[in-house]
Amino acid sequence: MSDAHAAAPKTFATRLVQATVLAVVFALLWGATRAMPAAHGEMGTVAAIGFLLLAGTLMSELLETLRLPHLSGYLAAGILAGPHVLGLLDHHTVEGLTQVNGLALALIAFAGGAELKLDILRTGLRSLAWAMVVQTLMVLTVMTGVFMLVRPLIPFLAAMPLAALAGVALLWGTLSVSRSPSALLGILSQTRAQGPVTTNALAFVMTSDVLVVVLISAVMALARPLIEPGGEVSLEGLQALGHELLGSVAIGTTLGLCLALYMRLVGTQLVLIFVALGIGASQILQYLHFEPLLAFMVAGFVVQNLSKQGQKFLHAVEETSGVVYVVFFATAGAHLDVPLVRKMWLVALILCGARALTTWVASRIASDIAHDPPVLKKWAWASLVSQAGLTLGLTGIIARTFPKFGEGFRALAIATIAVNEMFGPVLFKLALDRTGESKKETVRASAGEGEEAA
Amino acid sequence: MNPILVLLGLLVLSYIGGFLVGGRAIRGFGLPSGSEYVALGFLVGPQALGLVDRSVLGAFEPIAQVAIGWLALVIGLDYGFRRRRRVPARRIVGSIAGAVVTGSGVGLAVFFASDSLLGPSDRLVAAIGVGAACAETTRHAVRWVVERHRAKGPLSDLVHDLSGGDDIVPIAATGVAFALHTDAHLRVAVPAWGWVALTIGVGVVLGLVAAVLLGKEFRLAESWGVLLGTSVFAIGTAARMELSTLLAAFALGATLSAASRHRAEIRAMVRPTERPVLLPALLLAGASIDVGALPKGAARLVAAAIVARLVCKIAIGLSARATSRAARGTVPLVGLGLFSAGGLAMSVGLAFALRFPGPIGELILTTAALATVLGELVGPGSLRRALERAGELDAGPTPPPPEAVTPSSPELGGSRP
Repeated sequence: MSDAHAAAPKTFATRLVQATVLAVVFALLWGATRAMPAAHGEMGTVAAIGFLLLAGTLMSELLETLRLPHLSGYLAAGILAGPHVLGLLDHHTVEGLTQVNGLALALIAFAGGAELKLDILRTGLRSLAWAMVVQTLMVLTVMTGVFMLVRPLIPFLAAMPLAALAGVALLWGTLSVSRSPSALLGILSQTRAQGPVTTNALAFVMTSDVLVVVLISAVMALARPLIEPGGEVSLEGLQALGHELLGSVAIGTTLGLCLALYMRLVGTQLVLIFVALGIGASQILQYLHFEPLLAFMVAGFVVQNLSKQGQKFLHAVEETSGVVYVVFFATAGAHLDVPLVRKMWLVALILCGARALTTWVASRIASDIAHDPPVLKKWAWASLVSQAGLTLGLTGIIARTFPKFGEGFRALAIATIAVNEMFGPVLFKLALDRTGESKKETVRASAGEGEEAA
Repeated sequence: MNPILVLLGLLVLSYIGGFLVGGRAIRGFGLPSGSEYVALGFLVGPQALGLVDRSVLGAFEPIAQVAIGWLALVIGLDYGFRRRRRVPARRIVGSIAGAVVTGSGVGLAVFFASDSLLGPSDRLVAAIGVGAACAETTRHAVRWVVERHRAKGPLSDLVHDLSGGDDIVPIAATGVAFALHTDAHLRVAVPAWGWVALTIGVGVVLGLVAAVLLGKEFRLAESWGVLLGTSVFAIGTAARMELSTLLAAFALGATLSAASRHRAEIRAMVRPTERPVLLPALLLAGASIDVGALPKGAARLVAAAIVARLVCKIAIGLSARATSRAARGTVPLVGLGLFSAGGLAMSVGLAFALRFPGPIGELILTTAALATVLGELVGPGSLRRALERAGELDAGPTPPPPEAVTPSSPELGGSRP
């Protein structure tokens, strides 16, 4: 929905109309919730999807005047309508909306895989490898230390012995390594940016996704004996992980080849294929203990690099994802536990600040070692601050595995994710604007439209 | 059965349906009204093979609501137009009058036949619902016959226009019936007509919102977002307030068509989605039929409805023959050619079955299904004979389908996967 907004400048009158329409949309939902306050059925969820789609789009248009990314507008619409602010969407409805996530995550993974072009990866391999090593080690180590330091501010750590504390801190450090592919692709879907910062961000975030999934399993196995007295380091978990990862790659490769073949032979109704894969195949893969995100990412990578359908595929994903991202991020906004953030704001802010600072320092060090161009030295870190769905998913796994402190850990993680989710995309958009990578695309898009019209 | 598998099955079905009906060359295949999908749904449903049970159907209620709402939106966008031509007002009035006569005739027949069978409130809902489900003539069947037999002439035009213009009657009747029974409340007491107005108002406001958001320039990707957002919001809001999703979505489509300068592009964009959405909706409707839940004496009520429908359609045909020059040269029973029922009738039936679960909803849905199946047996054949008598069969090359201008056409600014 957002790809063409930059094409024509919006006047004050246009913004006024958009604000009025936004007010009308909010008023309609308000009227419906007042007329039928007790309705918690699934049709409430259907109405909420439509509402978030409209409100998210309009809010993003209005926030555009402040040079904020569209993603912030989607989040803001969700937060405003959500259960903790205006209460137009209740908890039940917000829970119902998470069904959209499967489709959104599938599209994110497809796009992420398809954006990884082998030739670009080859040219930036040295830079990518150094960034991966330095970022992972530094963020993991420093954030483990910072977590230990701020423990007096964290209530659920109060009575914990030192060994257990070290285990929990190690988990926090690993969680800090995770990034947000969805936020990255959400911003790129709006700006259609191209350039070294964009390419670096795509390659790094998508690859680190896989790394974090492996890392968290390994760290959980190592932390268990520290956290639970009598617990042992078990390799069974790692064996299962190996099976899961290799199986997902194999399935992803097969799926990618099938998709490429389909696009070559048929090439229509791709929306239905995405919906079927995003909702249906995700469930089947999860049931079989495979990782849908990894499988879809590999599929996208295969279509892009082992067939001639890459551009067409990417275009189809982008066309579909425009609508899905609005609902996905607006739902994330509605999910935001505002009272919790208010309660934990100080410690969350310290942890987020420390993470952002470490990411920046690590980026500078890695860029120096790899002799990156100045633009990467200055801005490569900007895409690494956001955290969203993946981090939330990992937090859920940790909370389930360690129920003793799981809930407190999750609450703190949600608070920090909320902060990173709000500031990270703004920072990345700023980087793209400053480096001119988003502007290039605007010019290119306008030229393309001109040609098309001609 | 796992709902996800059923969803995938529906997607595959709609995909195949899209393939079958999307191509220009193979139009005219399959049954004219799509009744085979109703029969297939009934076959896999709990009443026959039991491959899909009630809980699964319950899980699909939101999808069914959105599907029938979307169909009403497409009807609203197209209302008053055939291809790019505006249908003359007198023909729209005539088709509305015909549908009102049929709907009222069927409704009265059911109302009086259910005297000793149903309570007063149920009688009224049953009469309105069955009347609404039987009122229309499906334009799909008419188009199928006309295109398959390459018919061209004044009678073909007349039946095309009549079958397109009458859709508003069952949709409005649904709005009235739902408004009579909503549990929604506002600070001030709202009468039934007020709820009908509110249903239309939701559609009109969101139609205007869509028209404003689509703005001056038509951009395909943006338009899909706006259209999906406004339609799903309208459908969800109406359903949440227990009002008619059909009426709200129809009002949205008609308003958007009237207020937007991009109406042709929007129609071209949305029209190809109609059949792929319709087929799973018909399947779901067929599967939702529960003969065991029918009220006592249902056979009598259904028979009364079908007979009344037949009589009314014949009467409409006779009056058209008497008053319209286009129908003068054909068979006296030209009205039987208008006997086909299909997508809209089943959508109305399904809407009632979802809103009034139990005997009354099932009565309306079952009557709609029977009207569709009987219409399939009688309607297309009779229409073919009427057109043959009028000398309009094989009169020329097949007219270009409305899908000829698709969203992928360069003039509409891009492609859609």
